[in-house]
Parts: sequence; C-alpha cells; structure tokens
Amino acid sequence: MVLMSEIFGIAAVAFGLFFSVVGILGLVRMPDVYTRLHASGKVSTLGLFGLLVGTAFFLPDTALKLIALAIFAILTLPVSTHAIAKAAYGHGITPARASRDDLAEGRDMSPSA
Amino acid sequence: MNPLAEFFLQVTLIVLIALVIPCVHRMIAGPSAADRLQAVDTITTLLIGIALALAALRQEWMFVDIALALAALSFIGTLALARYISEGKWF
Repeated sequence: MVLMSEIFGIAAVAFGLFFSVVGILGLVRMPDVYTRLHASGKVSTLGLFGLLVGTAFFLPDTALKLIALAIFAILTLPVSTHAIAKAAYGHGITPARASRDDLAEGRDMSPSA
Repeated sequence: MNPLAEFFLQVTLIVLIALVIPCVHRMIAGPSAADRLQAVDTITTLLIGIALALAALRQEWMFVDIALALAALSFIGTLALARYISEGKWF
C-alpha cells in the first residue's frame, strides 16, 4: 500500500523535475545569455525546491537539514544568477533582440563603475 | 519504499542526468565566458538535484550533506567567477 508521505514525495519530485526539464529546454532554445539566465533560474530555484521537498518526504529524519538547504538555495541561487547577468553585461554582451537598453542610459548616473 | 516510488526516483535520476548533456554542450559551445559560467552553475544545481534524488532512492543521509556542501561551494564559486569575468579581479 502506498503511504501518504510517498504520494506527496512523488508529487513534489515530479514538480521539481518538470521545472528542471522546462528550464533546460529554455536554456537550449533561448537566443542570448540573458534569456538563458532567465531559463536557468527556473532550474535552480523551482527545480531544486521541488526535489528538496520531495526528498524531505522520502527522508523524514533529515527534513530539518533539507529545509535549511531549501532556504539557503532559495536565498543564494537567484543572487548567483543575478551576478552572472551583471558579469555578462560588464563583459559587454548586448541583449540579442532588445529594443532598448535602460541600463546604458543610466550608466553615467550610477556611481559605481 | 514501495516499487512505484523507487521506479519514479530512478526515472528522475535518469532524466536529471540526461539534462546535464545540453548544459555540457552550452559550456563547450557557449560564445562568451558568461555562457560557460552559467552552464557550469546549472550543472552544479543539477548535481545537487542528482544527489538529493540518490538520497531519496537509497535512503542514505550522506547525500544530503553532499548536496548542502555543494550548494554552498557552488554559490561562492559562481560569485567569484562572475566578478572575475566582469572586473578581471575576484576579490
């Protein structure tokens, strides 16, 4: 017989897996760095979050450690995605199909280089 | 651990490992350094997912610690590399 915890575990892992597949699909098809970063952000936050919750259901004893990892991942992975985008812009990569570039106009006003 | 959950976790593992291949392609073909850094970051996140799926599949607590350490180190590594790419020095 199937335990309730395993049903929730399978549902959460399926949720995480779905977003990982969609994110990697986006990473393959997107034209330039910034849109690919948008797609890979899905993989890291939602895909990982689903897997974490699913593993918490499958391993109830380590649930506290998994919740700590979930909070850590939710806080830090968007920051790393943003850092890559800032690095790409600093590296001089212009968005592929951008109609306008707001950061370029505001660049001389921004104090930091 | 009934067979349905075990089978589903094995499928998850296979799919997650299959997802690494486009990232490796992006890492090799990526025109700019930022593409490669982003591909490495995604591969690391997928590795954390693989570690968690293995933890659930094998009922081993060790993989959870591996995933925690990998998450912390990949975050610091990505930030250092991103700063190196944009400014040429990383601290």
